[in-house]
Amino acid sequence: MAEKTGRRRRSSSLVYKEPPETIEHMSDQAALPNLNANWVNAKGAWIIHVVLIAALKILFDIVPGISQEASWTLTNMSYMCGSFLMFHWVRGVPFEFNAGAYDNLNMWEQIDNGAQYTPAKKFLLSVPIVLFLISTHYTHYDFTYFTINFLALLGVVIPKLPYSHRTRVGLFSAPPEDR
Amino acid sequence: MEFQEAQRFVQQSMHDITSTFQKVPGSAMLIRYIQSSYQNDPVRSAIELILVIFFVRYLLASSYATHSGNFVTLTESEIDDLVEEWTPEPLVAPTTAFEKAESDNLPIIVGPTGPKSRLTNGRTVTNLASYNFYNFVGNEQVKEKAIQTLRTYGVGPCGPPQFYGTQDVHMKTEAAIASCLGTEGCIVYAHAFSTISSVIPAFCKRGDIIVADRAVNYSIRKGFQAARSQVRYYEHNNLEDLERVLQKVIKDQAKKPLTRRFIVTEALSETLGDCVDLPKLIELKQRYKFRLMLDETWSFGVLGRTGRGLTEAQNVDPTQVDMLIGSLAGPLCAGGGFCAGTTDVVDHQRISAASYTYSAALPAMLATTACETLNMLLTTPEILVQCRENIKAMRAQLDPRSDWVHCTSAIDNPVMLLTLKPDVVNSRRLSIEEQERLLQECVDETLANGVLITRLKSMPTAPGSNGKDTEWKLKPALKVCMTTGLSKKEIEKAGITIRHAITKVLTRKSSSKLALPNVV
Repeated sequence: MAEKTGRRRRSSSLVYKEPPETIEHMSDQAALPNLNANWVNAKGAWIIHVVLIAALKILFDIVPGISQEASWTLTNMSYMCGSFLMFHWVRGVPFEFNAGAYDNLNMWEQIDNGAQYTPAKKFLLSVPIVLFLISTHYTHYDFTYFTINFLALLGVVIPKLPYSHRTRVGLFSAPPEDR
Repeated sequence: MEFQEAQRFVQQSMHDITSTFQKVPGSAMLIRYIQSSYQNDPVRSAIELILVIFFVRYLLASSYATHSGNFVTLTESEIDDLVEEWTPEPLVAPTTAFEKAESDNLPIIVGPTGPKSRLTNGRTVTNLASYNFYNFVGNEQVKEKAIQTLRTYGVGPCGPPQFYGTQDVHMKTEAAIASCLGTEGCIVYAHAFSTISSVIPAFCKRGDIIVADRAVNYSIRKGFQAARSQVRYYEHNNLEDLERVLQKVIKDQAKKPLTRRFIVTEALSETLGDCVDLPKLIELKQRYKFRLMLDETWSFGVLGRTGRGLTEAQNVDPTQVDMLIGSLAGPLCAGGGFCAGTTDVVDHQRISAASYTYSAALPAMLATTACETLNMLLTTPEILVQCRENIKAMRAQLDPRSDWVHCTSAIDNPVMLLTLKPDVVNSRRLSIEEQERLLQECVDETLANGVLITRLKSMPTAPGSNGKDTEWKLKPALKVCMTTGLSKKEIEKAGITIRHAITKVLTRKSSSKLALPNVV
């Protein structure tokens, strides 16, 4: 019972850290390689970001009536939204293999078993930053486009910072379960 | 002079740097980019500059693990000290005097088991301690069929079902059970005990909720432990209490994300022998939107007109039960277990149930034996009637007649569990250990009179955070198993022997010494 009460979050705080796992929970996590997060270290997984961005750009370009500025902004926004959803919003593992040992962690926190500044994480952070710089350049530094793109960038960069590791905003997510 | 030289040197090196920079591919692009990006907007440029600085710093930072904080760093000598100090706990607790005495007097059967078995001491005893309810052990037809299969298929399939282990006989057995029960599909496991302890974790994980009977057997508890789910218990076979627990779960979970919810119980309880009210259970599960896992290990092949289990006995459509788990090992005289349900339920287990994917498939001869005995039950329901006659005959000798014991088993359960009456326990203030000892004396005394019975033996409650329930304790009981291999006369005689043995043990001087302290 003592360990259960220790896992409850203090009700008043808006921002809280996901509590550390119990020994049993950690050994469940370590029982098998985490297939959900390990693929980001593969070669193809890095190239696919570039390929997807190029594909998005081409897609928005062939839609008639979209200016170059709008096309770049849309490409930027789609990539940011997609990666936010994938890395920071969805928690757990889509295909269950270890009795829900990762149910409390999003994919970014699962990558490299939570280690910071690893090559994969450096790469995944650099993609949105470079994309942002390119898209502001091609939107000719228009203030509106710049604001939109910059806010989208913040949305994906802030959750990637080491400070944000296991941090939850109470507004968006329910308090952690007793698991 | 020196100043001019320095100036010239600076100019020269500046020139060198510029020309080298221009030689670098893409440098012209970078200069153009920086020139065009300023755009007379210092704030925006500053933001971009800060971003670039942050980016470079992030790239240059060295990596660190966040998990390392959980470990205490120790010096070499501290590690040595700890290793020195450590004395391992024994893997097995030292044998108690009671366990020693029990294992020393353990009867050993020579040759095949049957209603009359020969022991190593040369005596032939009436065997009421095996789950040979319909005496399929001694059935020549079953034996012949098994030998035929053995000659065709060999002993073991030598592989898990998903890896060359599945043979046509397994699929036939699965189809036979599914058609017998009337479910969409069925999956056959290689081991009865590990069936439900593997089915539970195949469907449940962290955060899921299991509501279980307090007296569920050890195999189910092992399943809870592996599933990591939250387990809530209700009083044994008390469906009002179940409803209370279900309401509480609904209330607690109202604002939380939806999780899977299961009710897990046994049709015939292994530890108490009584029967659950299935229609009421189905009604509750539907009202509160739970799924039902019903462990028919002790009731499949036993209850109902043709031995289809509790669903047949209580006229419930088996498709109402989400997962129906049974054993082929006991009365069916084969081996392994099964889980019947919809095709989705069955197919899910084929890749996610641990004991199906990781253990070798059921030997082919056991699969055919199960098919054969199941067919015999369906075609000749008279043997079930005969078995029930025997149960009735034995019960008549024990339950109302004995002053000391009470039968907790359901009326149709061939496994009769005899517990000491509560007033006997209370008046003598018998602890669990003393009851165990007295019952063991009864077993020994019965054996001395030529009838082999046993005690209810179970593993202690599973350790670990899940599936633990400190409030529940196994009730010591005698176990008497009925068989159609004996005539009604022989059963009655055995019953009298058991009753007299119990009376003799409980009225003995040594045991009454414990009794009634106020009499002394």
